[in-house]
Amino acid sequence: MSATVTDLESALRRVHDPEYPISVVDMGLIRGLAVDGATARVRLTYTSMGCPCKEMIADDVRDALLAVHGIDAVEVEEVYEPWSHRDLSRRARSTMSELGVA
Amino acid sequence: MTEDELLERIASGKLIEGPEYATDKYVEGLRRTLIVSGDTELISAPAYMRAARNAPKINSYISVAGIAQDELGHAHIAYRLLRDLGEDVEALVYERDPKDFRHPYAFDVPLDTWAEMVVANGFYDRAGFCLLDDIFQNSSYGPWKRALVKVEREENFHLRHGERWMATMAADPEQKAELQAAVDWMFMMTLEWFGLPDSMKRHGEQIAYGMKGSTNDELRQTWMSTAVPLCEEHDIDVPAHYDEASETWVIDAPFPCAFDEEEKRWDFDGGEISWEDVMQRWKRRGPANEELVEQIQRGYKQLATSLEGAA
Repeated sequence: MSATVTDLESALRRVHDPEYPISVVDMGLIRGLAVDGATARVRLTYTSMGCPCKEMIADDVRDALLAVHGIDAVEVEEVYEPWSHRDLSRRARSTMSELGVA
Repeated sequence: MTEDELLERIASGKLIEGPEYATDKYVEGLRRTLIVSGDTELISAPAYMRAARNAPKINSYISVAGIAQDELGHAHIAYRLLRDLGEDVEALVYERDPKDFRHPYAFDVPLDTWAEMVVANGFYDRAGFCLLDDIFQNSSYGPWKRALVKVEREENFHLRHGERWMATMAADPEQKAELQAAVDWMFMMTLEWFGLPDSMKRHGEQIAYGMKGSTNDELRQTWMSTAVPLCEEHDIDVPAHYDEASETWVIDAPFPCAFDEEEKRWDFDGGEISWEDVMQRWKRRGPANEELVEQIQRGYKQLATSLEGAA
């Protein structure tokens, strides 16, 4: 049975931002998910152009999707769509404020 | 407020929210601790940027630039708190003699290669994390405790950066040799970072005042408890192991030891030296001390000179 987009999303909900205990989904970094047979496609953005954690995030995303049952290839497209604090989910915002990040 | 009243307040778990709620002795102890923390964070930035010149690709350079920027932010927190204690921070940062900076000697030894850069993230940032986490858990100073929440999250990224790169380099035979060479001097250097052994340093007062919670030897153990397994996982040799019987991490090399700072080599054959000898080396400071402090102070001094010229 092939994987679904929901499977991909739940895998990515376990991938945390390298600095905060917030998933890349709640951070608003995932801009598209698709399954094509055994290939997962993800459109990924970052909080800034010069994000120092780019490689780490892309690798973590790739590893998490490869671990999904039915996926044996991952294509990460770095889309560099603009990101702002409005892209944070409600959950992400409450974690941030607990950590004292305005 | 008397010392006894203050100690009682701290022992009851109440936080101190400013110098006006503490004694001069407390403020002096806090001041010294904050200067060490601020200086260490500050000097790590030029030390890392120096090594980043040898980054293997542009993204790696950006990662280190991001890390250096975090470190400057952490230094700013410590200096900002010092300002609230009445310290002249401008003079402290920009006018102080390089030899009077209070960062550990480790940062006076220049980081040259990319392997040294990533081992610094894996080892030095881990040491910084152990020390700051101890302060976060045990500090009696409210403003610092709250500020450290963010610092810890960012240090976490630095550690992971070091660990990932150490794993990558360990998987390639040629790069692994470079990695091992860096670990060979930097492992012992980080052990030294934690300072005098408990047999030579009394911590009772610092702990009672809530400046720290663990002793130097305890913190050295905490550091080894994750640094040694990290190396073992990637088959990197380190002179330390876990002793089941005593349930402690044991150092398998002369410690403390003489260090050749030009060659970056420990003189294990020379055996154990005294801590007095080590303190003399620390006091002399190492080869990168002036260069790194000069980088921090250069712009300030240039500006001061041109303003004088304009007046």
